[in-house]
This record gives sequence, C-alpha cells and structure tokens, in this order.
Amino acid sequence: MSLEFKKNQVHFKDMVGVEDAEELLEWLQKTPAAKVDFSACTHLHPANLQVLMAASPSIMVWPADAAFSAWLQSALDQHEDPY
Amino acid sequence: MSKTILIVDDSATMILSVKSNLEMNGFKVETAGDGVQALSKLKSGIKPDLIITDINMPNMGGLELIQAVRALPGFRFTPILTLTTESQSAKRDEGKKLGATGWLVKPVDGADLIKVIKQVLPGA
Amino acid sequence: MTPLLEQFLSEARDFLEGIGEKLMQLEDAPGDAELMTALFRMVHTLKGNSGLFDFPEMTRVLHAGEDLMDAVRHEQVEYSQDLADRLLDAMDFVGMLCDEVEAKGSIGAHHAADSARLAESLRRLIASVDAAAAVVAVVASALPNALTETGIVVAEADLPPLVDIPESIRMDAYRQACGGVDLHWLDYTPAADCFFQGDDPFFQARGTPGFLWGSITVRQPWPALAELDAYRCVLEFHLLTTAPREQLDEYYRYVPDQVRMIPVTPLFLALPQGNRNGGPVAYENFVDKALGLLGANQLEDLVLAASNLIELSSLELWLSSALRWLLLVMELEPENRNAFAKIIESLRRQSPPKWTELLPKVTGGNPPAKTELHLSQHSLTPEEAEVMTKMLDVQREILNLPIQENWQLGRIKAVAATLTGCLMASGDVAARAGLEAATAMALEEAASLPLLAWLDQFQQTRSTASVESLVNQADVGVPVPRNLSEIQSDLSADAVRVSDVDAEAKFGRRAEDAGIGPKSLKVDQQKIDRLMNLIGEMVVSKNALPYLAGRAEDVFGVRDLSREIKAQYTVINRIAEEMQDAIMQVRMMPVSFVFQRFPRLVRDTSRKLGKEVNLVLVGEDTEADKNVIEALGDPLVHIVRNSLDHGFEQPDERRAVGKPVAGTLTIRASQESDRVVIEIQDDGKGIDPDIVKRKAYQKGIIDEATLERISDQDAINLIFAAGLSTVDVISDLSGRGVGMDVVRTAVEKVNGAISLESEIGKGTRIRLSLPLSMAVTHVMLIESAGQTFGIPMDSVLETVRVPCASISSIKQSLVTVLRGNIVPLKSINALLAIAAPPQANSDHELAVLVVRCGNEAVGLLVDDFRETVDIILKPMTGVLADIPVYAGSALMGDGSVLMVLNIKELLP
Repeated sequence: MSLEFKKNQVHFKDMVGVEDAEELLEWLQKTPAAKVDFSACTHLHPANLQVLMAASPSIMVWPADAAFSAWLQSALDQHEDPY
Repeated sequence: MSKTILIVDDSATMILSVKSNLEMNGFKVETAGDGVQALSKLKSGIKPDLIITDINMPNMGGLELIQAVRALPGFRFTPILTLTTESQSAKRDEGKKLGATGWLVKPVDGADLIKVIKQVLPGA
Repeated sequence: MTPLLEQFLSEARDFLEGIGEKLMQLEDAPGDAELMTALFRMVHTLKGNSGLFDFPEMTRVLHAGEDLMDAVRHEQVEYSQDLADRLLDAMDFVGMLCDEVEAKGSIGAHHAADSARLAESLRRLIASVDAAAAVVAVVASALPNALTETGIVVAEADLPPLVDIPESIRMDAYRQACGGVDLHWLDYTPAADCFFQGDDPFFQARGTPGFLWGSITVRQPWPALAELDAYRCVLEFHLLTTAPREQLDEYYRYVPDQVRMIPVTPLFLALPQGNRNGGPVAYENFVDKALGLLGANQLEDLVLAASNLIELSSLELWLSSALRWLLLVMELEPENRNAFAKIIESLRRQSPPKWTELLPKVTGGNPPAKTELHLSQHSLTPEEAEVMTKMLDVQREILNLPIQENWQLGRIKAVAATLTGCLMASGDVAARAGLEAATAMALEEAASLPLLAWLDQFQQTRSTASVESLVNQADVGVPVPRNLSEIQSDLSADAVRVSDVDAEAKFGRRAEDAGIGPKSLKVDQQKIDRLMNLIGEMVVSKNALPYLAGRAEDVFGVRDLSREIKAQYTVINRIAEEMQDAIMQVRMMPVSFVFQRFPRLVRDTSRKLGKEVNLVLVGEDTEADKNVIEALGDPLVHIVRNSLDHGFEQPDERRAVGKPVAGTLTIRASQESDRVVIEIQDDGKGIDPDIVKRKAYQKGIIDEATLERISDQDAINLIFAAGLSTVDVISDLSGRGVGMDVVRTAVEKVNGAISLESEIGKGTRIRLSLPLSMAVTHVMLIESAGQTFGIPMDSVLETVRVPCASISSIKQSLVTVLRGNIVPLKSINALLAIAAPPQANSDHELAVLVVRCGNEAVGLLVDDFRETVDIILKPMTGVLADIPVYAGSALMGDGSVLMVLNIKELLP
C-alpha cells in the first residue's frame, strides 16, 4: 500500500499510483486538518497531486529527493513569500 | 518489484522479439495473440502495468482492444502503447484518441523500446 | 485517409483558392466591406475545419490569419499590399501542408518553425498598429546569443515568467547557455482526460531531458473538495531545460499539441530579484560611477567596484542580486557593453532590465525588397532550379522517344518552345541563339539529335554555374553578427537577415507551378445526378432491343436479323450495366462517413451522463449511395442518443445486476444483397412491452381489445407509432420512444425499413435496412386482368404456382400452406378493385407472388409472372400523387408506361 492513513496523517510511500487518488480524496474530504508526510515518497501520480492541491493540507515532511521536493513545493507550498 | 507487461500481437515472431528484449531488462511478460485473448487474460486477473498491442489482428484488433480495456474496471489508467508501422500514423492518432498512451514503430529497436517504457511507466 | 479528411482537403483547396481570389479583388477595391467579411469567413471556417484534425502547424497559421482578418474587418488594421502578400504566403503554406497530408497522411514536425514564423509574421501586422501593446517583436536569431536556429519570433507578452526560477538555477542556466547549450522554457498543459490515456504528465515532466527547474500550476480555481474530479487533469507544468529542440520534440512526441516550447535568450535570465529596501547608501553613487567606468572602458575597475559593493550589502537584497548578474554577464559576455549598461541602469529604478529593448526592432511595415536576396535577376531560387532541372530532363526524354513520322516535327517544336521558356525564366539570353540554331537544324532534318546535343552542352554549363550561385548566396544570405553593437551599427546586414527570414517563408507554390493537381476531382452533385438519370434512361431504352428482335422475327420474319439484334443487345447490355455500376460507384461512400462521429458522441454523451459505454463499430467500410448515407446520419444519431440516454443503466445499477460496469454499444454495418443493413445494439436494460402497451392504450393508439391480445414484439413495435413520442412517455419507457416515429419516417423516406428487438434486462437491437442505391429500382413484372404491374423486388419473397385444390378458405379469407406455414392469399384484382377473378393456367394452378409485408409473408394472386427489369421509378405527380397504392411509374423499353405498386399501401 502506497498510502498509509494514521488518524489525521497520511504517509506517501514509494510510488503513489493513479488509483489511490480516489481514496485520498475521500479521506481528505472527511479529514479537515489533514497532514501529509512525503518522506518516503519517490513519485506520485498527478491525480493525487491535484487532490492535495485542492485540499491544501499541511505538509509535515517534504520528499528526500531535492528535485522532486522542489516540484511539489511549487504546487503545494502555501507559505511561499518571495521577499 | 518488477513490472508486468502484456504484449498483444498475432505474430509470434514479433511477440518473441519484444518479449526476450523485455525479459532481459527485468520485466515480467504476458502475451496474447489477439484482442480477445488479451481481454480474457485481463479478466482472469492478470494485471499488467503496461500493455503493448498490435493494431491489425484477427478476432479483435488493437483499436478495439484499447476501447475494451479502457472499459474494464482497473484498467482505466493503464498505459497502452500501440505497435504501428511507419505508414500507420493515422492509426496511431486514432489509437491515442481511443485511449492509448503512445506508440512504438515497428520494427522496434530494443533500446528505443526500453526508453519509451521508462518514459510512460513510472518506476520501470 | 478518412472520408472526413478527404472532405476537409477538398474543401480546404476551395477555400484557399477563394481566399486568393478575394484578396486579388480586394486589391482593386480595398474598402469593400462585403469582400472583407467574405474573406474573414473563409479563413475562419478553414481554421475551424483544420481544428477537427491534429494539424497544429496548420491551425496556428490559420488562427493568426483569422485574427488579422478580424482586425482588418473591424478597421483596426488597414488593408495593404504587404498584408495581402503575407496572407497569400500563409495560404501557400497551408496549401502545401494539405498536399503533405494528402500524400503522407500527416504533417511533418519540421514545419513547426515555419508555421510559427508565418503566424508571427501575420500577428506582427496586428501588433504594429497597436502601439499601446508595445509588442516588441524580435527575430531571436539575430541576437548575439540566440540559441535557436528556427528563427522563432517572441513577443514580449509571450515571454515566460523566468523570474519564477530561483536565481541560482537561472545563473546556472545562463552559464550553460553561454557555453553553447540551448535553453527552452516549456509549458506542458496535459489534456483534461489524459489520465484515461494512461498518461502520468508529472512523471513525463520530471523526466524531461535537460531538466533544470520545474513548477506546477493549476488552470482554474479549485472547486469544493466534494465536487473535485480527481481524474480530470487541470494541472500545468512549466520547466526550463537545456535539451536541444529535437530531443524535446522527440520526448514529447505523443503530446505535441499539449506542449509549448519557447527558446530562451540567455540574457533574459538576468533578472535581479530580492528585497528592494535597504542596502548601503553607496549604491546611489554607484550607478553613475559604474557608467563612467564603463564609458572609459575601465572594466576591471568596474568589476572591483561591483564586488566591493556586494560585500557591503546583504545577500538577499535586490541590489546584490543585480550586482551578481552584472559580474556574471561581464564574465561570460565580456563584449556585451550594452548589457552591462542595462543592468547598471536597472539599479537606479530597481526594476528589471528591459532586455527586449536591446533587440533589433522589426518594423511592421514593408520589409526590404525581396530582390536583395537574389544575386541578380537571372539567378533562380534553389526550388526553381530544381524544377528547371526536372523540366530539362523531361525534354530529354521526349527527344529520346522513338521516331513517329507524323509527330516528329510537332515534338521538336514543343520541346524548343519549352526550352526557350526555360531560358527566358532563367534570364539566360546568351544561350538562346544556340538553341534557335539547334532548333532550326532539328526541324530541317526532322531529327532530335541537334536539340539533344544542345541540351547536353547547356546542362553542363548550367551545373557549374548553379554551384557558384549557391556559394555566393550563402555568403550574402547569412550574416553572422558578432555582437549587439555590430548589429545596431550594421543596419543593412540586419535588413538582409529579415528579408532572408521572409523569403524563407515562401514555399515555392506559386500559381504557375501548380502543375500536379490533386488526384480527387470535385464534381457538382447535379452533374453526377444527370449522368445517373441518363444511364438510367439508357438501361431502360436498351430494353427496347429484345422487343425489336421479337418483332423482326415475328412480324417481319427475319430470323437472322433477330439473332443479330439479340447479340448486339447482349453487348450493349453489358456495357450499360458496367457503366451504371461505375456511375453508382462514383456516388458510393463508406458508412464510416457517418460512423466516425460516433466515438466522440458516445464518449462525450456517456461521460456527461456518468455512464460507461464502450462503442464497437463493425463494417465501417460498407458502402452505399451518397443519398442513402446522408439520409442515415440523423436517424442513427437519434438512435444512438436514445440508447445512451435511456438504454444504458448507470454503472452501479449495472454492477448490481451483475453486468459489466461498462455497457457495450455495437453499430454494425453490412451489405445484404442489394441492401445495406445497419444494426445498433446495446446491452442496456431493454424495453418493457407492458409499459409501452399501457402508454399506447392511454394515448388511444390501441384499443382495449388490442391491449389484451397484442404480442410483446408488436407492443414494442408500437414505439414507432406517431403518438408515443411525448416527453412524459420517455422517462417511464425505460428508454426508447423519443421521436422513434421520426426515425422511422426518415428511414422509410429512402425506401428503408426499421425493426426493433428488445429483451428486458438484456438490451435492445435496432435494425435499419436501406437500399444500396436509390436511383434504379429492380422490379418484377406481373400480369393481372390483362394489365402489367411492377412489384419492387425488395418486397418479393418468392414466386410459386399453387394448385387450386391446395387453396382453402378460412372465414372469408383464402389461405394456402407453403412449406408448413399458413400464408394468407389476396387477389391483386380485388385489392385494385378490378372485377375479375384470378386466372388459373392450364394445369389449374394459380400464380402466387409471395411478398413481405412488415414481418409477414402474404401471397398475392396474380394471373402470371413475367421477367424482372431495372427501371427508374418516377414518383406519381398531380392528382395521381394522392393514390398511395402506386409507388410510381416507369417508362418501359417499348414505350409503354409501367405502374409500380406500393405493397405496404396495397395490403390493408
């Protein structure tokens, strides 16, 4: 399982596939203060990314891979304040 | 975890060449001789991560197969590549419209094949 | 090639021709609003059509043309000769693409650059008028560091938001670009339904070759989570890469229409960023001091001053960022003083340097005369030279043909004329004397040899000359400017560059060299119809020959003549039949012409309804007459819509009853003898005959007795009854009913039949049967009470002779038994109100013509059968038109008039 739900946290593991997006969306719908942990994530299908962008949960840990992390931050980092 | 690829082609030679190439690169390979066989494989629980299909086949051709696969639960998003000849660009586009991800041009060069698969199949 | 594409190409050519014509007319009457509107409409329609196909190169140019014509139409841009020239060039390009599509089925990716350039050349005219837009159109390739050879033109508005990229990455990119790599900004906008094609655009974007930096944005505001469709892709990917263009084209070849690639001029990356507040006071003096150093060419001091100031300032200041860029640009482009000055000046206002101002301006007005490109008026363009070589080769072939006495002189004259033409075109006046002498000698000797000798000699001198001219052209045509100042000082070089770009936009398709026309011919339908009528008349009048043969023998007693006439008749008959067939073929079209709209229709409609439906098309290449195919379109759409709307269940409903979640809609075309049969079958919920019965009763379509007796199949057929098509019925009817009477009427209009089978829970099948062609009707002749009638063969099942003894009467009706089935018999005389009993033959047998009436077989008692003939059915006119039992009349070979019966109306 690439998605692990623990209370209000979701852990993304390895490669999160397109089919997972539905479950993620359902979970986010009923979890208002959701938190996301990308530490073990290497890729996620953009369907999941869209769901995350729409729900804007708080991100606890970004992925280890710097380039991947930069991609995700461009989409999900709400607190970016360029100077 | 090695990825499974389903090759659908009515030419045993074509299957063999693609299959050996894929297996050498660590993929698991399933094969089918036409669209009907491919569908029954999919319905019997085999879940490939990628499908490579010829266009012109008896019983059920590739274009028809693409439509049928897209309608199967669990295969809505599976990447599908069509095997086309140089002259079949119209079929390629038609395939894409029906839900294929891309195409390979026959004869398929081994390195190209792996390159394309790595491009459309995350984690390959 | 699909019929739709064929249609498009043929139509596109008409439009292109029309556009050319209108532009010519506008030259004489530039203020003619009507012409202008017509022109706009043609460009607009053509653009719209091209959008049906995946021809982005074509659509892009047409789109620009459309926008330009729109601006002209609204008097925002004035019509000019230059405008007409550019538009004609663009249309030539589109014409060339059409040719390529026709030849190869697709458009090569290498046209993208030309397409972009032409589109820009058109858009420049719009932009040049709109000064407020301050569009700085640039020829990117004229820049010192331009990295694109394609010459793509970038307007400022189109500049990508490079400032989004962190400075360190931009600096890295700049370094790499100065080191010689290409930089591209990429906007990747995946199609909304791309996930259903197995795409993972994020993965695709991450794997982009030469990837330096990327970001993800969304196309539209997010809806509430409850309304979010996770599988409708609304993301956009933006990235900066160092990969060469070809590699990017290759990598994104499956989705070229979803990717926009913009070559990035390296200097454009030099955008200072950071906190504009604070910083050492010293920087205010710095600008003047630095400009002074620059002016005095004290570059080392300038570097020192800048480095000192950086040390005094904190890193995140805008000022520091600008200085870092200054140092980097000075390091990597040490000759580019203007760039240094721009960066220094930007410090004063703390606003980014306007790099586009450094680019040479391209005025929207007339480009320099194109003749500049040509070395002399004698030299040919490479395309022209190639054409000329081909022409000369053909002349050689002609001269080498075996001698045919009476043609020889004509040939020599023709070749001489062609060669003279070639010399005129290439301006090679000197060679004409030699050619004239050779021609005279050839004519005198009536031999090709003198001309061949001249040709050999001419081609030899020509090939050396052409190499020289190519070399010269290369020298002048491609100036290689070293830096900006050179470009600015050397305006003439600039001008050549621009004219070069414009000249490249020519595609060698001029009116005079359009020698090889398209292979398909567009003919007015009326002309084909006339041919069809004529051959029909001929088929009928050839039938007079057997009569004539009969008369020759019977009346005049010339047996041999009769035999000869019969033999001639066979020949004429065969030719006439073949001719008829050939003409019919002209009108034949594959059903795919109608079918091809269904994948889209089914996909869109089912998605809208939240259903999953799988469309299977079978027998798309089945052919039928154009009229039949066209008549088929609307009823089919109606039926398919109905099926999607009401036939298929929702996915969960299907799952609940154990059906596959996705329904299957099969449309199958096939040919059955002289009819084309279309079956539309769904595996939906079917039609409940009970509901139809009840509704039909409520509507007064059937009475109570019928309600009791009616079979389920008959009940379902009530769907076709006129009254059963009101809205309240639809929802209750588990599907069908919406205007099925309209469908039936449309099908019957072209002599077709429609039937429907349905099983509750299993699905519905509708079968349309239509004649292959509507022009010639095959009828059987029968005799009754001394008159001859025609019965259309498509309703004839068989002819039998039944002994009088085998006919029995049940109540007042006559019946007989044929192969175990009871067949009701009707006397045709009685049906036509002729007071004569059926005549039996000498064996006491009655002639029974078994015909199909609906789904039943009925025997018609006639006096005798005769042959079958092809006739052209003319509908009844005048007062006779009100007598429905006659389908029409036809003229027979002996001049008599045949009345053709309408079986459906004849039988009660």
